[in-house]
Amino acid sequence: MSSISRSLGHVSPAGKVIIPLLVVVFVVAPILTVLVGAVIGPWLLDLLGSNLGIVRFLVAITGVLLFSIPAAFIIIYMELKVIAYMNLRVGPNRVGPAGAAHSVVAGLKVLSKEDFSPANADRFVFTWAPVLVFLTAVMTFLVIPFGPGYVDPATGERVGGLVGQDFNIGLLYLFAVGGMTVVGLLLAGWSSFNKYSLLGGLRSAAQMVSYEIPLTLSVVGLILLAGTMSLTEIAHQQEGWFTSWFVFRQPLGALIFFIAATAEANRTPFDLTEADSEIVAGFATEYSGMRFGFLFFAEYVNVFIVSALMVTLFFGSWNAPVNVNDILNQLHIAPITVDLDPGSLGVGLLLLVMAVPVALTLLFGLPFYLTRSRMPAWQAVVIGFVLFNVVAMGIAFLLAYIGLVWLAGVIWFFIKSFMFVFVFVWMRGTFPRVRIDHLMGFAWKWLLPAALLNLFLTATAIVVVKVLHP
Amino acid sequence: MTTFTDPIGQHASADDPRIMLDNQIGAFEAVPPYPPRTEREAEFYSLRDGEMFINMGPQHPSTHGVLRVVLKINGEQVVDLDPVLGYLHRGVEKLCETSDYHHVISQVDPLEYVSSLFNEWAPVMAFEKLLDVEVPRRAEYIRVLTGELLRISSHALFQGWMALDLGGLTPILYSFIERDEIVEMLAAITGQRMLFNYFRIGGVNGDLNHEFMSRLGDWMSRAAKQHEANIGLLNENEIFVRRMRGIGKVDKDTALRMAVTGPNLRASGVAYDVRRAHPYSVYPELDFDIPVRGRGPEGGDSLDRYLLRLDEVRESLRIIDQCLHAMPDGPIMARLPRLLRPRPGRAWAAVEAPRGLYGTYAISDGTDQPFRMKIHDPSFVNLQLVGMLMRGNLIADTMAVMASLDPVMGGIDK
Repeated sequence: MSSISRSLGHVSPAGKVIIPLLVVVFVVAPILTVLVGAVIGPWLLDLLGSNLGIVRFLVAITGVLLFSIPAAFIIIYMELKVIAYMNLRVGPNRVGPAGAAHSVVAGLKVLSKEDFSPANADRFVFTWAPVLVFLTAVMTFLVIPFGPGYVDPATGERVGGLVGQDFNIGLLYLFAVGGMTVVGLLLAGWSSFNKYSLLGGLRSAAQMVSYEIPLTLSVVGLILLAGTMSLTEIAHQQEGWFTSWFVFRQPLGALIFFIAATAEANRTPFDLTEADSEIVAGFATEYSGMRFGFLFFAEYVNVFIVSALMVTLFFGSWNAPVNVNDILNQLHIAPITVDLDPGSLGVGLLLLVMAVPVALTLLFGLPFYLTRSRMPAWQAVVIGFVLFNVVAMGIAFLLAYIGLVWLAGVIWFFIKSFMFVFVFVWMRGTFPRVRIDHLMGFAWKWLLPAALLNLFLTATAIVVVKVLHP
Repeated sequence: MTTFTDPIGQHASADDPRIMLDNQIGAFEAVPPYPPRTEREAEFYSLRDGEMFINMGPQHPSTHGVLRVVLKINGEQVVDLDPVLGYLHRGVEKLCETSDYHHVISQVDPLEYVSSLFNEWAPVMAFEKLLDVEVPRRAEYIRVLTGELLRISSHALFQGWMALDLGGLTPILYSFIERDEIVEMLAAITGQRMLFNYFRIGGVNGDLNHEFMSRLGDWMSRAAKQHEANIGLLNENEIFVRRMRGIGKVDKDTALRMAVTGPNLRASGVAYDVRRAHPYSVYPELDFDIPVRGRGPEGGDSLDRYLLRLDEVRESLRIIDQCLHAMPDGPIMARLPRLLRPRPGRAWAAVEAPRGLYGTYAISDGTDQPFRMKIHDPSFVNLQLVGMLMRGNLIADTMAVMASLDPVMGGIDK
């Protein structure tokens, strides 16, 4: 006992916290889980099973909340790094490889700061306004489809799908919830008891209310074409080649949507609400600590949502630009399918799992051992093992890409979304800020008529097509 | 316990710590805590319906230092404003009276810190007039060469700040490339990157060395191209141009009446440049043009002032080229005693600094220290325009106007 206490004496203060935590996590928590599970497990399972809809919804909400944080972290890091290279700087390069953990550490810093609110601020509103902003941003994630579901071979219906909740009024929900952001920003600006904050809040109100109109009108044409407001349905309508993407049928709508969405997300060149050279930091001037963190996260979550919406509505959602199956059909080759059913492989699979790593590790290591006279055998084995892992992961990933429709969908969705995120970052690095009267004039004099024109043209085209091909 | 009586009474200054403590709100109020002293103050510090004050500065990202502007705004519109100076006042003119003539150079160095060689140039010229010293020609050429280099650096920085104040993040870093190259070059001969302390009464402190020449050669081979590239980065940006066109118009008469000098005057259609109007140093021997913009009856706007500075960079490049070709050999310092005691008298010398006429009026009483020194700083004079130009504009325009006037608070507050 004394030896344990003596060795504990050498542990750093951080270690003294971590060691009991480890004990709790690895010893106490599993025992408790098993005990509680044994007592109330059957009852809990029964309860969950009879309320699957609610469970699915809760899981989706939790997933969306959890997903928003790393998404924001990635975008923050991306913005720091991309703008740095545009500015001929290096950007963050201290924490993690190439500074990749920078935004995570910044997030921790924000969490650990003092929870400060200025004197004379409206404490209640001041505290909850950032939460409102953050929640409205995150809740819009709920209807965005990240990947397709399976097609049930028996019934031919689509099952599942990587979407929080597939509303048939998904688009309406998006605009409704997204429009609530302005309330949060206005409250944040008002409650701070700071004139710069007030100006920022009022600017955001004016700007977002104005741009809501062209934003909504720009997708009405698309809704007419698609015949639905469900985002999953819109995504499914863009399957096949990239020519079926809505951007080719609604180019004007896509452009208006992109501009208006930039303004909705308060991004450069429409970042008047937090114009640092004019009104210091706008509605966020008096915020610090995690309250500021919420506002900050919400901004980047909004950037991702706008990019994801752009992809979902106009750029084919999760669909790859090239239809591989179509090409194979043209070449009279049967479509590639991978049936991952371990049962049919039997003992062979077991042997494969045991023998292949050893054989391939030796095989990959051999050339290094033979060509480099100074290399000891163990180094060659390590290199072989690493190479084998890389190759095996690659093959596994390829198989999964071919075999799992949703994985391929998610990959394409994120590739396209982050391309748009890059465009937003790029714009931030290059554009100056517009003035408030130019901004409002642009919304009302150009975007709104253009959106109406787009709607008119689309409706006319639909009627004409219907008359010509009844 | 004695009761505390306020000796100052109601006329306490805003910086009085007791007023800061009594301020329950905890915020620095725009309205001063004393009753209005003038009619103008009384009118300014009374609010009509829908108006409010906003304190822009002294700590604000785009007031180019510690300028405080009390804005009276109605929504986004600036109804009226009141610039408050003095947050960077160091009493440099008074300090100069207690330093000997050589020491003055380092006292005035940090005034207009973006282009500090010009701060030295005017006093040095004034003292040379007092002393009747002839400056060696090589020293004059070196002064012109380094001065024009610094003018380019200052204007490059202006371009970046202009973009930054209008919300563009990137151009400032491209500007700093130019500035960095130039200050590195000057550091090779002066030993410092910002406050060079290089000019001396009767010459300059060090001769051009190999490092300077090689850096200058490298830089000159691509300076013009780099300048065009930096222009291309911004000048065709629609947002940038639209935010400056028609903002902050100054016509010829107003500019002359307000005693504006430098690029701000030339952008209003007056071809006044100290280098041509009152030639000094070797400028009469050099061939360069005075770019002028805004010749129309309406005068020049922010965009004109911006473009004019870009034109000036081209002319400065021409001057540097000629200086390098015509650079004579010879001494870089006149022969002077170590302790200078000029004859009693007065002298005025002015140079064309990047921001306008930078002048020094020095009075000697025959001792080794100037009896009185007055420094005429162009930023201070140009800043008078701010009140006129910002009134009636939007808050965002105040940045475009302020940046286009290119003030440096170090020189304004002295």
